[in-house]
Amino acid sequence: MHPILADPRRLLWYELAWLAAGVGIAALLRLTGQAEWSGALEFALPICLVWSFVAVSSYYVCRSLPWSQRRWPVALGLFGGVSLLAALGWLGLGEAWDSLGGLLLRGKPFVALSSPGWMMYFAAGFALYLLSLLAHDVLVAFESVQAAARREAESRVLARDAELQMLRTQINPHFLFNSLNSISALTGFDPAAAREMTVDLAQFFRRTLALAERERITLGEEVTLCGHFLAIEKRRFGAKLQAQLQVSAEAAECLLPPMTLQPLLENAIKHGIRQVDGGGTIAVDALVRDGTLHIAVVNPVAADDAPDNAHGVGLKNIRERLAVLYGPRARIGWQRSPTQFAIEIHLPVDKESGA
Amino acid sequence: MTSSQRLRALIVDDEDLARRLVREYLQGHDDIEIVGECDNGLDAVKQIGALSPDLVFLDIQMPRLTGLEVLELTGRRAGVIFTTAYDEHAIKAFELHAVDYLLKPFSKARFDDALARARTLHAPAEPAGAGLDALVARRTAPLERILIRDREQVHVIPIDQVECIEAQGDYLAIHAEGKCHLKPQRISQIEEQLDATRFLRVHRSFIISLVHLQAIERPGPDRHAARLRSGKRVPISRSGYEKLRTLV
Repeated sequence: MHPILADPRRLLWYELAWLAAGVGIAALLRLTGQAEWSGALEFALPICLVWSFVAVSSYYVCRSLPWSQRRWPVALGLFGGVSLLAALGWLGLGEAWDSLGGLLLRGKPFVALSSPGWMMYFAAGFALYLLSLLAHDVLVAFESVQAAARREAESRVLARDAELQMLRTQINPHFLFNSLNSISALTGFDPAAAREMTVDLAQFFRRTLALAERERITLGEEVTLCGHFLAIEKRRFGAKLQAQLQVSAEAAECLLPPMTLQPLLENAIKHGIRQVDGGGTIAVDALVRDGTLHIAVVNPVAADDAPDNAHGVGLKNIRERLAVLYGPRARIGWQRSPTQFAIEIHLPVDKESGA
Repeated sequence: MTSSQRLRALIVDDEDLARRLVREYLQGHDDIEIVGECDNGLDAVKQIGALSPDLVFLDIQMPRLTGLEVLELTGRRAGVIFTTAYDEHAIKAFELHAVDYLLKPFSKARFDDALARARTLHAPAEPAGAGLDALVARRTAPLERILIRDREQVHVIPIDQVECIEAQGDYLAIHAEGKCHLKPQRISQIEEQLDATRFLRVHRSFIISLVHLQAIERPGPDRHAARLRSGKRVPISRSGYEKLRTLV
């Protein structure tokens, strides 16, 4: 919708501006001796009112050449050409109104201009349309700045939402309450283990809360967090759960968004190890090659278990998160064989400055 | 209750520590005897069939089969105490059907409470749990897989493989991948549980999968039949044909 026509207050100011232009034209005709005041006003004001609605078309001319893609010779040519065409229409309207309107209302033309007078009137029409184009151009630019600001605010809100969502999934109630139940069981026959598990649980949540606030953490920090997580899960699942983490020294220094690896391990246990009789080993490998950080997570799955939808949703969330942060420079892929599930993540190497 | 007759209990949970806790809590109760433990749903189905325990402590979230699926397969409706750490859907259903459950971690007092209730319910005159019946019947629709118990075997059929379901007396014949499995259930009951966008009841005794539907044939005037991808033909009733026409 047209920004002026859609807004009554803007429309009022716009029409007032055109009436002022009409008075201006009448004054010009009077001062150059082309017409009397009354005739000049009766001539110019209705024309400007009618023309104001023709001139709103300049908004669409401006929109057709957005600032970002504008080449000035083209823009000047277009603006000049359109203004010239508009001025021809303006001339026709003026002559028609002067002769017909004047004849009907007064019995004679309002102004009956001479050739130089019509030339002047034509030039005024050209200038007015050009002015209208420029004014609309400013309006369009103003609108796009506002829209950009709105988009930025929206994306900030989205980012914040994503962060909250992440925190909420990290503090997974199922994990928390099951762990507390395990501690409750341990207190009866192994108080020392119960205490250790309590400390691991506390460490895990403390670190999660601290790390989630940061935009990037080192893989080493993430691995420490995963260590607490795995210690808790090993208590819960006993010998069923084995883990092998191989992270090269260089990879450990790389920065990545917090909670990239931990949800993968959680998935590997929930959809993999837990479903397999006798459990198995989760293998994590991280290394740097050719300026890229490679992280691979491999876990066994139950052969007769249908591929899980929830698993796919979790992975898609991670993919989206990495796409927002890295764009096409990050890749995540996964594949399932009858007995194995493997995930690979490739991220551009990014290290703390000075590290 | 006098302890002339001991209650026989089965503990089902995939976490060793969780089973251990139940064992510990049961220690003070001389009238209860632990007859077995299972760490997955399939095993639970077998043990319930083999041991017919008086009391089952049943975890909801388990590998292979969930606690509710175990109940569906065994037909067990009484003497069940659910345990769960966190499962919003299950808890809502428990509340709705007045079924007792223990939220992990639970106290000894709460555990004893649930046990006392289970003992009174175990009195022989008590009818089988109507709440549990409704709970199992209206479990998490739409169905993602169909479970069939064949003596000691449990078949899990992913819903995508099911071509059509046929009512045969008190049984359902479930046709999938060239095989036919029998399951004791009513066709109207499974119709409610199926995803209505994927399955359609085309006849009093037939439900077909729209994914497996290949063509609609017209063997005679006013008679229709569905040809499935496997080549199988299924009769379509007049009202079934109307429903099918609006969908396809």
